[in-house]
Amino acid sequence: MKPATLSEAEMDAISDWSESSQQLVRELLGKYPDKRSAVMPLLYVSMIENGYVTAEGMKSVAVLTGLTGAQVQSVASFYSMYKREELGKYLVSVCTSISCFLLGADDVLAAIEDETGVPDGETGHDGTFTVEHVECNGACGGAPVVLVNYEMVEGVTAEKARELVKWLRDGGPDVVGTEEMQQLFGGAKSFDWAVREPEGAVLPVPAFAPYGSARGVK
Amino acid sequence: MADLVTITVDGVAMQGKAGEVLIKVAEDNGNFIPRFCWHPRMKPVGMCRMCLVEVVGPRGRMLVPSCTTTINEGMEVDTQSAVVKKAQEGVLEYLLINHPLDCPVCDKGGECPLQDHTVAYGPGESRFVEEKRHFEKPIPISELVLLDRERCILCARCTRFSDEISGDPLIEFKDRGNAVQVITFPGEPFSSYFSGNTVQICPVGALTAKPYRFKARPWDLEAVESVSMVDSIGSKVSVQSSQNEVVRIDGIDNDATNHGWLSDKDRFVFESIHSADRITTPLIKEEGQFREATWGEALDLVAERLTSFPGAQVAGLGGANSTNEEAYTFGKFLRTIVVTPHIDAQLDDGLDPQFLVGVTPRAAIPDLETAKTILLWAADLKEEYPVLYLRVRRAAAELGANLIVVHPRATGLDDVATHKVRYRPGTGPEVLRELTGDDADYTEIREALAAGPVVGIVGRTGLGEDPRLAEAVAAFVRDFSEGKIMPLARRGNVVGALDMGLAPTLLPGRVSESAAHDVLESEWGPLPEGLGRNATSILEGLRDGELRALIMLGTDPVRDHAEPELAAAGLDGAEFVVAMDQFITDSVAAADVVFPVAGFAEVEGTVTNIEGRVQKVNRLVPSPGQTRATWSVLDDLARRMDGNLGATAAAAIAKEITGVAPAYHGVTWDALDWGDGREGLLLPLAEGVQHLEYIPVDGQLASVDARYGLHLGRVLYDDGVRVRMSPSLAALRPEGAVFLNAAALDALGLAPGSPAVVEGASGRVELPVAVDNSLGDGTVYVPANLESTRSLGAAVAVTVSPGGDA
Repeated sequence: MKPATLSEAEMDAISDWSESSQQLVRELLGKYPDKRSAVMPLLYVSMIENGYVTAEGMKSVAVLTGLTGAQVQSVASFYSMYKREELGKYLVSVCTSISCFLLGADDVLAAIEDETGVPDGETGHDGTFTVEHVECNGACGGAPVVLVNYEMVEGVTAEKARELVKWLRDGGPDVVGTEEMQQLFGGAKSFDWAVREPEGAVLPVPAFAPYGSARGVK
Repeated sequence: MADLVTITVDGVAMQGKAGEVLIKVAEDNGNFIPRFCWHPRMKPVGMCRMCLVEVVGPRGRMLVPSCTTTINEGMEVDTQSAVVKKAQEGVLEYLLINHPLDCPVCDKGGECPLQDHTVAYGPGESRFVEEKRHFEKPIPISELVLLDRERCILCARCTRFSDEISGDPLIEFKDRGNAVQVITFPGEPFSSYFSGNTVQICPVGALTAKPYRFKARPWDLEAVESVSMVDSIGSKVSVQSSQNEVVRIDGIDNDATNHGWLSDKDRFVFESIHSADRITTPLIKEEGQFREATWGEALDLVAERLTSFPGAQVAGLGGANSTNEEAYTFGKFLRTIVVTPHIDAQLDDGLDPQFLVGVTPRAAIPDLETAKTILLWAADLKEEYPVLYLRVRRAAAELGANLIVVHPRATGLDDVATHKVRYRPGTGPEVLRELTGDDADYTEIREALAAGPVVGIVGRTGLGEDPRLAEAVAAFVRDFSEGKIMPLARRGNVVGALDMGLAPTLLPGRVSESAAHDVLESEWGPLPEGLGRNATSILEGLRDGELRALIMLGTDPVRDHAEPELAAAGLDGAEFVVAMDQFITDSVAAADVVFPVAGFAEVEGTVTNIEGRVQKVNRLVPSPGQTRATWSVLDDLARRMDGNLGATAAAAIAKEITGVAPAYHGVTWDALDWGDGREGLLLPLAEGVQHLEYIPVDGQLASVDARYGLHLGRVLYDDGVRVRMSPSLAALRPEGAVFLNAAALDALGLAPGSPAVVEGASGRVELPVAVDNSLGDGTVYVPANLESTRSLGAAVAVTVSPGGDA
């Protein structure tokens, strides 16, 4: 699909966005015959820019899609992965659905809460961690599952979870990758994922192509 | 009707059109199925589940929402079964879980569908003992509307209205799930021209309008059907009062005109009726100051002064905001008692009166439903004719008509238009010639216009535009197959006033002066000879001393005429000025005698809308103080001038009109009140005759050449007296500004907000500049008739230069 050409008003709305995000916007708008269809991927791009879905971000998306702010807000507030508050550097998500629960997800979550000092659903004062519990991530064979900025670690125990938190806190890696974390802190894996994701993530934005958050990192 | 479908509801056979939904067919046949989210003018969503009924299908009986189920031949429906009752009880118990049940303090209590349905279909008790949801309440979501989210039952009527009908979806659901609520976006209030409709269709008390909140209880209200006189579309309204004070206006669903919708101006302008600034006694000016007078004193003085002038030196202006009966009496008074031909209801801001009332073939509003192509070369409908805007929007967005918008700047309909043409004011004739010729830019538009039926909505895009351009456009549209013309002029009853002969070239009943002069003399007695002057010429005559006295009926030329300086000079030059009005406007202030007259909701009569549809306006409240009906003032005045108008009651005048005015033959109050005229009577009726058939011509106008062309377009909330006297609306008036595109700003070295001077032949303004990139090169837009802009006047060719110290 040919990238869309943006009007003056549309360019104005994203003038403070990075060059790579602006290019992403053009590509995304070029994919849909009706530009309001691009509202969801564009919200992710706004998260890459701002770290979370801000009012300004929603406004920019509204201009890009020809919707009103209220309509964009309606979409953004429905999906829990559109974060509307500032997050820590690492979003640690613990699956507590049935398989993970049976294999000790509650202990893993408790260990992470204890080690980070951040209760479930909140962000620490120092802005390093946000902790949340989430529903099934589709890796039940590797339960319990933890995600860091949507990069998956399977077969995590309470002890390994503490080590993961320490590693993140002490090392403070800018980019986290599923392969490295799986090797260091993971256990049994459900199966080998057909698609490798060597790119990693720098932000709590899902890292599936083409919206990988590490894409714009130099 | 081949597409009729027969179904059985509760054992009763009934017919509906194929494709109609069950709930509507049942209701049309007298079986009301309870509902909250379904509204006959919006698409069904099936959200509230209140309308569940049992349908017998191939797999047995099944509960289905009747608002999303289309009827099929032989369908069997049960709306009363035990299963349906249980479902209804369940739905209501569920809807009431979070409803605060604060009916005793809720404005909706007494006319609330949720309350009524709970009594009629509810379980009586709730098993819910937990804490209800809590929200801050109520929160203002605009200057006019407040939202109580605790009362909301999430039917989405308001959000769907603003998306589907009015096209400004500024309210939407947020946090769908347990915390779901209707809300605006931060910093983007629900500032829609149509926000009041959401209040009217809200099935609970979640949305309330500031002007009505806590003013009355529904069971105390008295109501009459009437017609909004804010613009010339003739929207059907219910005017409601409590303790002799109008407290609310609601829309009434009328297929022909408004579909039940109103603009906020139609809805909230009632505040002006009970304004403290209303004139309540006759006023006589002495030494530059008004003093209160008795009716006898004031009438004697006016009769004496008017008699002292030769008839042809007196002129009459106004009547376009009056009823037909008032306008008729005004015209008869001027032509037979004063004996002057100088009469004009318009202020040269509309169209040629003969064109406006006599153009054929004339489009009616329902023609928009079947039109394939609509050519809109007129004002921005959203600003000037908001209800017509909704109808055109529906035609383009829902019914798939091609919409071609020709206008100097972006209009409210651009988002649903298939073609847009923007042009610099003054170059309209050139654009029209390119359109009618073979200019390659307009090939697609010409192809669209070839698909009939075509409706051409024509009028002046702005105050400076030559009215003959609209006529030339009409002549263009007339040549298309099934081409019909809808000419637009703005004032509430302008077509009615012209139909009553309030124009130099017209006599009552759509006849030209020259053709009907002798016929009317046999009814009215001697009439003045020759054609009179129009509004501008009247004002010039007064200024130059050729005319000496002026009678004004509900008109404010100083504010409304395109050349305010001329209007002021005219009033100043007149030896004697009489005004019949409700407020001391800038023009009334120049009068020597002021008669206070009754207005909307205080008088009974008929009005004629832009299509030529006659409807009845009704009286609900007494007029304040010593105010009297216009016709009775004129009747008294006529007696004092040794004449007799025979104006003894509005109904009697209406009868006289029916006899005297050819196009109004057969229009009776009985038909309008009780007969088939409840939705209005479209002129001429079978027994009526329209003598005047005006064929529009292309006068081959020359374009105005200038560096800057001024677009002086009206805005909905302008400085008209009724808006100024309605506090809720007055607060919404925009600030005046000079709009240019960004390139023009750069070229002039101006930053947004810095002062600029616009100067034309009839005035100048200095205002902050603002950017509007929908304006083409050389177009400057200034909103018309605001306090800060009215000194500009309506010249097309203007100069723009930096203001202030620069």
